[in-house]
Amino acid sequence: MTQVLSRRGFIKLSSTAAAVASLSSIPGTLGAMDESQKQLKGNAKFTPSICEMCTSSCTIEARVEDGKGMFIRGNPADKGRGGKVCARGSAGFNQLYDPQRLVKPIMRVGERGEGKWKEVSWDEAYTFIAKKLEEIKQKHGAHTVAFTARSGWTKTWFHNLAQAYGSNNLFGHEATCPLAYDLAMDDIFDNGISRDFAKAKYIINPSHNVFEGIVISYARQYMEAIEHGAKVISLDPRFSTMSAKATEWHPIKPGHDLPFVLGFMHTLIHENLYNKKFVEKYCEGFEELKASLAEYTPEKMATECDIPAEVIKRMAREFAKAAPKAIFDFCHRVTLTPQELELRRAIMMCNVLVGAVEQEGGYYLNKGAGFYNKFLGENDAKAPVLKKPKIPAYPKVEFPRIDRIGEKDSEFFLAKKGNGIVTLIPKATLEDIPGVPYRLHGWFIARNNPVMTQSNTEMVIKAIKAMDLVVVHDIQVSDTAWFADIVLPDTTYLERDEEFTASGGKNPSYAVGRQKVVEPIGESRPGWRVAKELAEKMGLSAYFPYKDIEDYRLQQVGDNIDLLAKLKATGMASFGVPLLLQDKKSVAEFVKKYPSAASKVNEEGTIDFPHKIKLFSPELEAVSKKGALSYEPYKYKEADELYFINGKSAVRTNGHNGNNAWLNNLCDDAAVWIHPKTAERLGIKNGDNINVYNKYSTQKGKALVTKGVREDTVFAYFGFGHISKELKRAYGKGVNSNALYSPLVSPNSGMNLHVVGVKVAKA
Amino acid sequence: MAKKYGMIHDNNLCIGCQACSVACRSENKIPESVYRLQVWVKQEEYPNGQLGYEYHRQSCVQCENTPCVSVCPTKASHVNEEGIVLVDVDLCVGCLYCVAACPYQARYVHPVTKAPDKCTFCHESRLSRGEEPACVTVCPTDALVFGDLNDPKSKINKVLSEKVTYRQKETLGTNPKMFIVPNHKGGINS
Repeated sequence: MTQVLSRRGFIKLSSTAAAVASLSSIPGTLGAMDESQKQLKGNAKFTPSICEMCTSSCTIEARVEDGKGMFIRGNPADKGRGGKVCARGSAGFNQLYDPQRLVKPIMRVGERGEGKWKEVSWDEAYTFIAKKLEEIKQKHGAHTVAFTARSGWTKTWFHNLAQAYGSNNLFGHEATCPLAYDLAMDDIFDNGISRDFAKAKYIINPSHNVFEGIVISYARQYMEAIEHGAKVISLDPRFSTMSAKATEWHPIKPGHDLPFVLGFMHTLIHENLYNKKFVEKYCEGFEELKASLAEYTPEKMATECDIPAEVIKRMAREFAKAAPKAIFDFCHRVTLTPQELELRRAIMMCNVLVGAVEQEGGYYLNKGAGFYNKFLGENDAKAPVLKKPKIPAYPKVEFPRIDRIGEKDSEFFLAKKGNGIVTLIPKATLEDIPGVPYRLHGWFIARNNPVMTQSNTEMVIKAIKAMDLVVVHDIQVSDTAWFADIVLPDTTYLERDEEFTASGGKNPSYAVGRQKVVEPIGESRPGWRVAKELAEKMGLSAYFPYKDIEDYRLQQVGDNIDLLAKLKATGMASFGVPLLLQDKKSVAEFVKKYPSAASKVNEEGTIDFPHKIKLFSPELEAVSKKGALSYEPYKYKEADELYFINGKSAVRTNGHNGNNAWLNNLCDDAAVWIHPKTAERLGIKNGDNINVYNKYSTQKGKALVTKGVREDTVFAYFGFGHISKELKRAYGKGVNSNALYSPLVSPNSGMNLHVVGVKVAKA
Repeated sequence: MAKKYGMIHDNNLCIGCQACSVACRSENKIPESVYRLQVWVKQEEYPNGQLGYEYHRQSCVQCENTPCVSVCPTKASHVNEEGIVLVDVDLCVGCLYCVAACPYQARYVHPVTKAPDKCTFCHESRLSRGEEPACVTVCPTDALVFGDLNDPKSKINKVLSEKVTYRQKETLGTNPKMFIVPNHKGGINS
């Protein structure tokens, strides 16, 4: 035992993190740095912040323990999330200390994707990027450089840089994720909407797997509803955790959710189950909707979606009876059909038809400051609106965007310019798009990983290789960074301050953005700083009129120092009381708090919707003849192929966190789910190595034989089969689902499609 | 009265997300190759033909009659005054009798100390600060309830009085303080 005892003595002197062996040889990574620099300088008291392990942006707080460890939990001040985090959230510390993490800028010295790099200084990196951008501007025009910034915070910095430089091709990640439902709600409600899951009595859930693709607040609300006896219907070709918790599981045919919804709506209307009073008073376009649905009888739709007509009708009756405490969940990322926009509009219209809007247990309109203030009287205090620093006018761009948003006849007119149709970038680089008189020549990508997250990986890589310049700002050499010319090391969210944010649920709310828990490790720099410093190098500093993030935040709150103090101390703030326009009790409490709002209350004791709810879209009709609803059958696969679908796992979500040591340790390979009968027919046994293949790609995986998937379908978790060899734990393991998907960009919504035909064979 | 800590794992509320496992690793600095706590997810086909997932919390169940303590020749394995089974690394001679004796396979050999280690309800890291165990703190769906079984007003006693629970391998007479609410989907209603 002597050896053991001496080892014990040793461990008392060293930390677990420092004991992690450094195997990394990549220039610029933490593993390539001196151990002595790995010292956590941070706050031992909990600092409220926002998680960034996925994009759900849950509220957290974190503290440094003994100068070497860290504990992350949910922010207890956030009642909606109950102070909870998921596995990914808890694993954030590991991201901070990962030896494979990038902490110095690196520049490509070999071919794209060859993995040959050299370390460069930040100044060298900026000089290189500025020079290249100027060259492209001279040769092709600044508009030929696309700027993708994943979401809110990154957009603020890099979209500003893009426009100052002269490009109008700004994108977020949305077209690979929530865009279709965002567009649908804008079209129907002219406002964002949320779902009051916790109070609902009846929920129809088409593959919205919140117990695996975890959003803490949704998971808690769904569970609360289930605990209170709500009936939850899961429509999913695979038996997900949501299906297991649901009252009923119906394995719907992949890609055929829209016919289900149309048959369901047909029943609501033709059996007179809809709320006539609500529809007459608050909606427009009902007659056009009714006419467009006439042919979609449940009987006809049943054969399409593979759910019996009687079941569709029963659900419609139950749904209408449960209203207003009824939710037809409009789902999240899984994109089920090329008719994404129709699908999400149809789902939302179900809630409208039964009047389950702006009452407990249904949908409600998001009430940010601007919207909430509309209902306040003259003498009432108003919700604060965050300000933005004043910046000079951007140079005018003479060319349309690649998605032509902003042109009169753009099919994507519903999308905001800051979101854009990011899925079009490969096409706009490799092919001529009608009405777009140029091709893209550069791509600046902040905290986004299109090689992993956009459909048809081969085409994305081909496009990247055709670019004159590819810049990536990320915490690691992501699959996209692997093909970049220069990779700039981002700070992890635990080392970063961000701008304040404002949003709204039932009343306006504000959040701190992110707050630094520890000082940045190595030479990593946050987005606000990189964009500002690069702008200075390009002679564009006038567009960044703030000293640092602290100065930016001060300009956001103006003279409202109380708000600033509250956000920094607790991470969040809200204004007023919750308001549901159609709920008499809620309206009464609102008026009690804001007496001069009484003038807005109608004779029924509720408040009228500020706009008519649209059951027919004149704008979509004008652009694409799609004002009403219709079903266009789509050939997803050949007769001898199986449907291939994907979904999220609870420990690894999207393209970002699969290389995290703790998460990878829990799930390093994703098996392909296959039904026992199909497996038998193909001679495949549980655990066999298999090939999943189609005309786009061949992916190697392991078979999981289970009754939890339809006979005609195979399923795999998303976020596996990483391509960057610098993601050493995740590289090459599991099926990369996007490699198998087609490059289709759906009409009107720009969404990729996550259903495709594949063959499966024993390897 | 001294405290007697226990825990409930509710199979209906658990979603197998492993938040507990990772939080435990983070708080207790558990090396990557081993774990104090995992939730094992198993797909079941129930007699009524329905599919379901069963969630098994794989960790120390904090027995009252403790085989691991009984077999320890040096008193390194012991139960503290709050009913928590602990290992005193300095007294351990590494015989690993306790690892073999545990009917729940809850103990592992710590790769650095070479002594057995296990769930301690975060005794050393959190309880002394007045905090709940890390797993309970983070659980997204409140599937874990922790508290003092000697306090009639504690939340754990309230839940125990409202829901049907069982304990693993009760016939062994180990008297675990880890209670399980079985899955409704299996046909047992609570």
